[in-house]
Amino acid sequence: MAEQKEKPRKVGAMGMVPYEMALGPTWTKFFEGFKEKKILGTKCKKCGRVLVPARPFCPRCFEPMEEWVEVAQEGTIVTWSYVNYTYFGVTPDMIPVIGAIIKLDGVDCGTGMSTQIGGLDIKDFELVTKKVKVGARVKAVWRRKRQGNFRDIDYWKIIE
Amino acid sequence: MQKVGIVEVAQSAGTESSLSLMEFTYKPVKELLDKVDMRRDEVDMYILASTDVFHSGMSCANAFDWDASGAFMKPASREEGDAITAFVYGCMPIMEGRYDTVLVVGLIKGSENPENDTITSFVADPFYSRPVGIQETTAAAMQMRLYLQRYGVTEEQCAKVVVKNLGNALFNPYAHIKKRVSVEDVLNSERICDPLKALECAPKSEGVCAMLLASEEKAKKLTDKPVWFKGWGSSMDTFYLGDRDLLNTQLKTAAASAYKMAGVSDPGKEIDVVETCEPYAFQELLWCEQLGLCAQGQGGKLIDSGVTQITGALPVNPSGGVLAMNPYVARGLYRVAEAALQIKGKAGEHQVDKKVNTALAHSTYGFCGQWQGVVILGS
Amino acid sequence: MGRAVAVIGTGQTKHGRRDDLSYPDLVREAVKKVFEDAGITPKDVDGVVYGSMPSMMEGMAYNHFYFADALRVVGKPLLRTETCGSTGQSVAHTAIHWIASGMADVVLAVASEKEHEGDAQATMMTILEPFLMVTIGGAPVAFSLQSREWMGYYHIDDDKAREAASIVSVDSHDGGLKNPLAHIRVKLTKEDVSKAPIITYPVRLYDVCPTSDGACAVIFASEEKAKKICKKPAWVKGIGFRGEEYFIGDSNKAVWQSTIEASKEAYKEAGITNPLKELDVAEVYNPFSYQELMFLECLGLCPPGEAPDYVIKGTFSPGGELPCDPSGGVLCTNPIGAAGLIRVAEAALQVTGKAGEHQVEEAKLALSHAMGGAEQFNGITILGSEL
Repeated sequence: MAEQKEKPRKVGAMGMVPYEMALGPTWTKFFEGFKEKKILGTKCKKCGRVLVPARPFCPRCFEPMEEWVEVAQEGTIVTWSYVNYTYFGVTPDMIPVIGAIIKLDGVDCGTGMSTQIGGLDIKDFELVTKKVKVGARVKAVWRRKRQGNFRDIDYWKIIE
Repeated sequence: MQKVGIVEVAQSAGTESSLSLMEFTYKPVKELLDKVDMRRDEVDMYILASTDVFHSGMSCANAFDWDASGAFMKPASREEGDAITAFVYGCMPIMEGRYDTVLVVGLIKGSENPENDTITSFVADPFYSRPVGIQETTAAAMQMRLYLQRYGVTEEQCAKVVVKNLGNALFNPYAHIKKRVSVEDVLNSERICDPLKALECAPKSEGVCAMLLASEEKAKKLTDKPVWFKGWGSSMDTFYLGDRDLLNTQLKTAAASAYKMAGVSDPGKEIDVVETCEPYAFQELLWCEQLGLCAQGQGGKLIDSGVTQITGALPVNPSGGVLAMNPYVARGLYRVAEAALQIKGKAGEHQVDKKVNTALAHSTYGFCGQWQGVVILGS
Repeated sequence: MGRAVAVIGTGQTKHGRRDDLSYPDLVREAVKKVFEDAGITPKDVDGVVYGSMPSMMEGMAYNHFYFADALRVVGKPLLRTETCGSTGQSVAHTAIHWIASGMADVVLAVASEKEHEGDAQATMMTILEPFLMVTIGGAPVAFSLQSREWMGYYHIDDDKAREAASIVSVDSHDGGLKNPLAHIRVKLTKEDVSKAPIITYPVRLYDVCPTSDGACAVIFASEEKAKKICKKPAWVKGIGFRGEEYFIGDSNKAVWQSTIEASKEAYKEAGITNPLKELDVAEVYNPFSYQELMFLECLGLCPPGEAPDYVIKGTFSPGGELPCDPSGGVLCTNPIGAAGLIRVAEAALQVTGKAGEHQVEEAKLALSHAMGGAEQFNGITILGSEL
């Protein structure tokens, strides 16, 4: 290896790569439901499970899921986490948030990641640990103006 | 070593689809399972071939692709890079005697991605190659210039590959680009990276190809005409273009390994049909030389002779090849699928006239074919 | 299945922040070491399997091309296997299948990561498509969600889980102190861990793996070759791999089926019926201390819901019935793509008596494991000193 007079250098680079991903008919319909403040699930004709988000097929039975059902907007917290750190693309003003997986009434799976708990002072950590619990009941709170994407549900509110 | 048979294949078309990648992948996989009358969970193992980030906009592609590939709670894995590697990996557990059936699926939606070379510029290293604009097409253009100059192959001869392949594609219902073009059309198309012209460069296509492999006993139960895996070979070249002789690629080494394993001593005579990966038209000629189908430097004469036409003595790319359909990543599995269909006699309108007993499927990726893989199939 | 396969050599870089080397040179460091350890040359290798996390993490596509020289693969076949965080295990499995199939006798498996060249969390967030699973929190949020799901499912109170997770962290960090190649080598107390800053509650700073640069290389050989050229092969006794659905809420992640089924397949092949008793050491994938508690249960090392009890009474600590992660585990060293293969290398070192200061006395049978995706994939490889 080469003898170095100075410390090895690093070279900075930034890459931007644009993508355009097709939503497809299933999720287009799912998000159309959001515009109307509806949460839609699909039901498997083989195992009978109702899944949210709606799916083109049941991952276990591998049959097309063609039966659509409107599901409840209330559910139970399966799990939650209090996010309090930054990384590239996440700035201090964006945190903290409370991520959660929520099992909607009548649905056979949890729905998670884009679901966030809100309607309380998130910065008050003590309060959060008091109110946000596995098993707590929550209800969807919709934005007034909806675009047909996951942001249409502003947050999930804990109902006492 | 147990024998491995290809039981059945399913393909998607290459034209842009408005389905989500999940829906788009599900369709051929479900079609394949229906064709062999098997449930998803009855297959022993799944091997996916897809791609992270660059060709898909999502990282850890196995996460998103898992459901539609059918792999839920089954032994499974994923090859990153060309899908021909997924085929070979799929053969291994059957050869070992561990499993009886493996479903291999290669998938991509080119329409969701930026241009191929936006992506391939990231294959170039950031210190020496990327800053001077080396990407797959500029590298191929340099290789083409060398090819024309060293052997006196002409631009007309390279253009003939486009005429042949896009013409063959008219008879392939899955092909993306299919049309009658003349040599003049090709020569007059925009010189996007001289000497490469626009019509000589592969498109960016959708593509999901699914294939069921089985042990000998199982294959014979599932189909009247299993196609047997006879051999494979693969070889990597070094990275920097300047370190390589761009006309003496590792395809020679890869082909030699494949021929040895398959017991082929005279490929020009013993191979009945070839499906090769030619994202740049001239490469079909170069690959034919490197595969030993003609002498070194004689690729131009080979296409002139008509031997590689679909009606010729050694048809090359009766499906239209990658020039007609370029689902990056999945394209290698398409080569295997097309080769298998020829042996089965199931290639429909692009079935070659002659009897096909031995077929060769070739794929390559990386600049100027840095990675090469060859699979030999037999009846 | 097929022919028997063994590990005949391992090599790891000094893991950590490696600004001193370019990425190919980092890979070369591990590859050089594995050839020295195995006592063979690249000439003897029939093929190479390489894997890493999505190479966007280091700003390059298909970086195995870039590493052609470092991997000594010019003129040879290369396969690239990737299954997210479980890549290291999947790379090992590809090598094993390749040899068991009879198509190769000696295969070099390499996995690497150079996380300081990019942003690992940002890259990992693109595992989620932009429609339905959009969130912030990187990998930590996914695993914190799982940890709390498990606590809720078994009604384990926060304090008990906190104590057990802290013990896991302390034990792993003690292991790191005994492993000269580990990235993080610090002495921690249970209090340090329990009171550290919150990352994604309940996960705190010392419950989380570091951001590491590192590479690992392992050479596998057929039975015949291993017996000829290796004094102490580490035999592959069993392997398993499973993955669940993409959507994170679809499966119960407290009773984690992919871990359970993958380990069942591996134990069956290895002829293991009581893993806690029969295994001598377990290199469990533990980027998050809480998650290790779940792995202990789902790998069948203790009854469901009882991991905290077993951890608190020292079952999995140094000197306990089944020491876990004596190398420091992923909590001390996490070049993500390599971490699963490092577990294989560490298992091999243990059963061949080459683990130096972090050797578990008389280890003969070792489990290695890795996990990937947003709690989606699990891979296992069991190695033993006897064929």
